[in-house]
Amino acid sequence: MTAISKSLGQVTTAGKVIIPLLLVILVVGPIATYLLATVAGPVIVDVLNSNLGIVRFVVAITGVLLFSIPAAFIIIYMELKVIAFMNLRIGPDRVGPKGAAHSVIAGLKVLTKEDFSPNAADRTIFTWAPVIVFLTSVMTFLVIPFGPGLVGAKLNIGVLYLFSVGGMSVVGLLLAGWSSFNKYSLLGGLRAAAQVVSYEIPLTLSVVGLILLAGTLSVDQLAANQAGWFTNWYVFRQPLGALIFFIAATAEANRTPFDLTEADSEIVAGFATEYSGMRFGFLFFAEYVNVFIISALMTTFFFGAWNAPFPFPHLTVALDPGSLGIMLPIAIAVGPLLVTLALAVPFWLIRTKAPAWQALLAGFALANLLAFGAIGLLTYISWDWVAGLIWFFVKSFMFVFVFVWMRGTFPRVRVDQLMGFAWKWLLPASLLNLFVTALAIIVVKSL
Amino acid sequence: MTTPTGLGHHASEDDPRIMLDGQIGQYEQVPPYPPRTEREAEFYSLRDGEMFLNMGPQHPSTHGVLRVVLKINGENVVDLDPVLGYLHRGVEKLCENSDYHHVISQIDPLEYVSSLFMEWAPVMSFEQLLDVKVPRRAEYIRVLTGELLRVASHVLFQGWMALDLGGLAPILYSFIERDEIVEMLAALTGQRMLFNYFRIGGVNGDLNHEFMSRLGDWMSRALVQHEANIGLLNENEIFVRRMRDIGRLDGETAKRMGVSGPNIRAAGVPFDVRRAHPYSVYPELEFDIPVRGTGPAGGDSLDRYLLRLDEVRESIRIIDQCLHNMPDGPVMARLPRLMRPRPGRAWAAVESPRGLFGTYVISDGTDQPFRMKIHDPSFVHLQLVGMLMKNNLIADTMAVMASLDPVMGGIDK
Repeated sequence: MTAISKSLGQVTTAGKVIIPLLLVILVVGPIATYLLATVAGPVIVDVLNSNLGIVRFVVAITGVLLFSIPAAFIIIYMELKVIAFMNLRIGPDRVGPKGAAHSVIAGLKVLTKEDFSPNAADRTIFTWAPVIVFLTSVMTFLVIPFGPGLVGAKLNIGVLYLFSVGGMSVVGLLLAGWSSFNKYSLLGGLRAAAQVVSYEIPLTLSVVGLILLAGTLSVDQLAANQAGWFTNWYVFRQPLGALIFFIAATAEANRTPFDLTEADSEIVAGFATEYSGMRFGFLFFAEYVNVFIISALMTTFFFGAWNAPFPFPHLTVALDPGSLGIMLPIAIAVGPLLVTLALAVPFWLIRTKAPAWQALLAGFALANLLAFGAIGLLTYISWDWVAGLIWFFVKSFMFVFVFVWMRGTFPRVRVDQLMGFAWKWLLPASLLNLFVTALAIIVVKSL
Repeated sequence: MTTPTGLGHHASEDDPRIMLDGQIGQYEQVPPYPPRTEREAEFYSLRDGEMFLNMGPQHPSTHGVLRVVLKINGENVVDLDPVLGYLHRGVEKLCENSDYHHVISQIDPLEYVSSLFMEWAPVMSFEQLLDVKVPRRAEYIRVLTGELLRVASHVLFQGWMALDLGGLAPILYSFIERDEIVEMLAALTGQRMLFNYFRIGGVNGDLNHEFMSRLGDWMSRALVQHEANIGLLNENEIFVRRMRDIGRLDGETAKRMGVSGPNIRAAGVPFDVRRAHPYSVYPELEFDIPVRGTGPAGGDSLDRYLLRLDEVRESIRIIDQCLHNMPDGPVMARLPRLMRPRPGRAWAAVESPRGLFGTYVISDGTDQPFRMKIHDPSFVHLQLVGMLMKNNLIADTMAVMASLDPVMGGIDK
């Protein structure tokens, strides 16, 4: 007994909590699992089944919330690294391989920082403004189709939902700017309001042509319409619309060259001037989530959504491993060994001086590569949502790269140029686009 | 002494006079004292819809610690008031309490971007007082290093200009050039920024091998690199439109306000101290004085920006000639150990990258200057901000300020 108490004395405080917990888990875990499976299981399944709509919604919301943070991390890291290369710098390289964990650490950092609010700030609004900004960006994810069937909510008015929720973020920015009790914040908030409201109009109008063509407001349906060869993508039928959407979306997300709301050389940090800690983190994440959203929307509306640029055979490979009988365990046991040996032999034959273990290692690595390639190809072919996800993210991150590239290249426009551009050029251009599209549809239908 | 809230420095937290949550918004009038001049009374009275925006002294783009009180109406700047003195160190007084050699190191950090020119003017005025003849090789070295530093300063200006307009990349490309120049000067002088290299009667140390090899390297690609840096920005529509027709300054006004350097040349007046009042070996060198903004309306921010880029080319031309014509000989004149110049006065001015930088020295026969007046171009140019920034947008104040290229160290002295 003394030995146990002695060794327990050497354990740290955290250990003293964890060790009993482990014991409890080891004992209680199996019992609870058994009870759940036998007694509560059917009841839970019944409840879930009867409320499938709600379950789906909760799962979608959780998934979207969980997805948005890593997406922001990746984009922040990408921005740091890409702009560093454009500036002939190295960029982050301390945490993780090539600094890949840098943005995660930065995220943890904002969590640990002092949550400061100015004495004269309107506390309630000051606290809730970043939440509004963040939530409005994340909520947009709900109707974006990440792949065939991979959509949070199949709204038949998805496009309307996108613009209405996306436009709400300006409320958060305005509140953040106003409640900070800082003139720079106020200017930033007002700029945000003016800018987002102005660019909302060409942004929405540029998509109306698309909607006329597709005859639907459902984002899911818009994505499905662009299947087949890449010539089916709407960018080839709505080039002007795509261009206007790209420019207006850049302004909507407050990205360079339209990042007037947080113009650091003019109004310090705009609406975020007085924010610190995780409140600033929310504003910061929202910005990068917005970047992903506008890239995803660009992809979804104009660049074929989750469709591959060429038609690809989606086969359902009819594999029945059970039919192999006793050969299945033998194949699993012997197959890898045989493949490894088969791939190692050429190495050993070509380079006779190489020791056998090196050849075996190379063979093993190649066998692994082969296996993963085969599995990957099989997944890609069998499940269309895997292929859809891959294409969607490839295309979206290409647009993210373009936005990052623009940030590294462009100076900032002036506020009067910004507004003039929206009202004098983008609005007439989007109206022209709408007019031409409608005319073309009428002409084609009457023929 | 009172703070703007009217409280003493030792107000504790339970001081009843401290602002409580209920009194928020009841700020006192700015400034807390009654207006001292008519201009102040006019400036600090707000009309409907106007508010003050205190830009600086800690602001990303006021080039140091300048504070500008902007009176804004929405995004429009109605009026403004630059407030100086946050970097005041009393350099003139420091110089008057140091002996003639020490003055060089005291005046060096004045304008930290181009500190060789800060050494050059006092050294020249002391040489006039002491009747020293500077060896020709020393003069050539001075011109060579000075023009190198002019290139560094102008290239850095290009980057700052872009940064103030929101472009992130050019400043880093600028720093590549500047670092190369500064490192080669460090090989020559021993320091990267505050060189402390010029001496009364010459320079401290002859050209060495490392400097020459680095210089040769740099000269072989200087013009190409300069063209590449220009290509980064000058064809950018946003960048050009941000500066065109902003802060127009015509020649007559520029003369009246005492402007010099690139700013007056960009207003159409070909005034350059190197040609107007030749010093050192500049009369022997061939170079042009680029002039822009010769129209009746004068030059805008873009002209001032482009003119500095033109000057980089001329400076590289001068460096090339210096390298070809560099004579042999000593780099220091023979001087007495203790310097007591005759009583008298001397004025010497050089063309620094920012304009006419001059020192006026009065000697009373001791080993310290009796009085030393420093004429700094940035200080003079700062007069213009009140004129050029008015009735523009907030964003334009940055474009104007950056294009005037002030350095606060020199302004506050």
